Amino acid sequence: MNRTLNVIRMQLVNRQTFVWMPLIILGGSFALSMLVYAMIPVDAPKYGGAAQAPLWYLLAVGIQALTMTFPFSQAMSVTRREFYLGTLLTSGLAAVLLAAIYMIGGLVEQATTGWGLNGYYFYLPWVWQAGAFGAGFFYAVMAMLLFIVGFWAATIYKRFGGTVLTIVLVSLGFLLVGLLWLAIRADMWDEIWTWVATAGVVGTTAWSLVLAAVLAGIAFLTLRRTVP
Amino acid sequence: MMTTPTETVIEVAGLTKRYRDTVAVDDVSFAIEKDRIYGLLGRNGAGKTTVMSILTAQNFATSGDVRVFGQHPYENAKVLRRMCFVRESQRYPDDALPSHAFATARLFFPRWNQELADRLVADFQLPMRKRIKKLSRGQLSAVGVIIGIASRAEITFFDEPYLGLDAVARQIFYDRLLEDYTEAPRTVILSSHLIDEVANLIERVLVIDRGRILMNEETDAVRDRAANIVGETAAVEAFVRGREVIHRESLGHVSSVTVLGALTDDDRREVAASGLDIAPVSLQQLIVRTTQHANGEHPSTQEGALR
Repeated sequence: MNRTLNVIRMQLVNRQTFVWMPLIILGGSFALSMLVYAMIPVDAPKYGGAAQAPLWYLLAVGIQALTMTFPFSQAMSVTRREFYLGTLLTSGLAAVLLAAIYMIGGLVEQATTGWGLNGYYFYLPWVWQAGAFGAGFFYAVMAMLLFIVGFWAATIYKRFGGTVLTIVLVSLGFLLVGLLWLAIRADMWDEIWTWVATAGVVGTTAWSLVLAAVLAGIAFLTLRRTVP
Repeated sequence: MMTTPTETVIEVAGLTKRYRDTVAVDDVSFAIEKDRIYGLLGRNGAGKTTVMSILTAQNFATSGDVRVFGQHPYENAKVLRRMCFVRESQRYPDDALPSHAFATARLFFPRWNQELADRLVADFQLPMRKRIKKLSRGQLSAVGVIIGIASRAEITFFDEPYLGLDAVARQIFYDRLLEDYTEAPRTVILSSHLIDEVANLIERVLVIDRGRILMNEETDAVRDRAANIVGETAAVEAFVRGREVIHRESLGHVSSVTVLGALTDDDRREVAASGLDIAPVSLQQLIVRTTQHANGEHPSTQEGALR
């Protein structure tokens, strides 16, 4: 267990990757949003999608967590399981921290009616429909999911190479389009939207968590036979 | 030299590693004894790194059995933490400074010695405030060497650790390794193709060629396996007739001929009587010849008729 926790410290050697870059992206996209909101001469509430930026960056963090640190972990005589669990714990910590920032930010935005500009970066009505903790749950899971997607793709790349990864990604694309086609043919759009609406943010997030767990499981099975 | 009964720390049986179209390791079996220094010698691509990777569970065998401290090393933290293997092409976290690498090694190697690490940093004049990815090839090798020595792991692997190191730095490595080995004995497996440079360091020779073990012997015994007979050409030729010659050189009417096989007392008397000299064979030369011999590249010439 101790060695697994030490993997967290190993990952955090990349302070730039795990700490500074997400903070720069968060601060930068926040400042840009505010500047844009200030320029819009409308009194209605202004919402934007800039808060996604740090979450998408976690995709890159997930890739780097494997490609940069896995070979070094092997030289440190760390087992693959220890590396895997330690890395997921690290991303979990990062996700919870990020979600906490978003929760506090959203509460401040509600209290100040959008920084006096009526412009919202953290507070998006759909995300906040179940309150601050619902929103925190959403952001933490999205952060984890994107990290895991990056980590999953990187393990496939590391073990099977770029061609296989590309084939897998293209196949997933076909699968999604196929599902879309099925949904259109069966005339299920309305049902799908109703389902999303009833599931709400917490329900949808819970399903995202299931997806994250499945990908994490595949990543572990792939990593078990990966050579640094 | 050997006083205590030997204890085996690594056992390899029938180890094979096959890549799509090449066989990197071909049905290899050997054992490694505790607290001795091994030279894993062989040409580039002979399979040295592959063997070390499999022993440390960084890579996987196609077939065969590997036991370290009596157990399988794969996903076995109890075994792995007692070993240290820094690759020749080791990658480090992108932002890492040498100090980060050493601080991390300290977390994972239970016998890590910080004082020793600090001293080695000074010896190798390693810049501690420069990112590892910006270091020169030699400085990069020094990072690996420092982790290897200071980890004091019970089994330590060095994979051609001298790449990019100058002669002075290489000597520092050999000296410090031997000093610290005396203070904290451990099993060392050192892969190298600078054979003569490590000849005085290694106690046992493990020669690997084309994925097969050609030799696993005491260094001293290997040296005794052949001798250089030097002197007047006619007398040398007379002496080597009927022996297995692996190399010959002549300059004017003086010849130096390397013959395989330990010399008997009778041989030595004959050499002295013929006015010839016996010169030691360099380990490198002997291993190079043996390797070529095994591959039939440079067929040795059998002198005279077989008796």
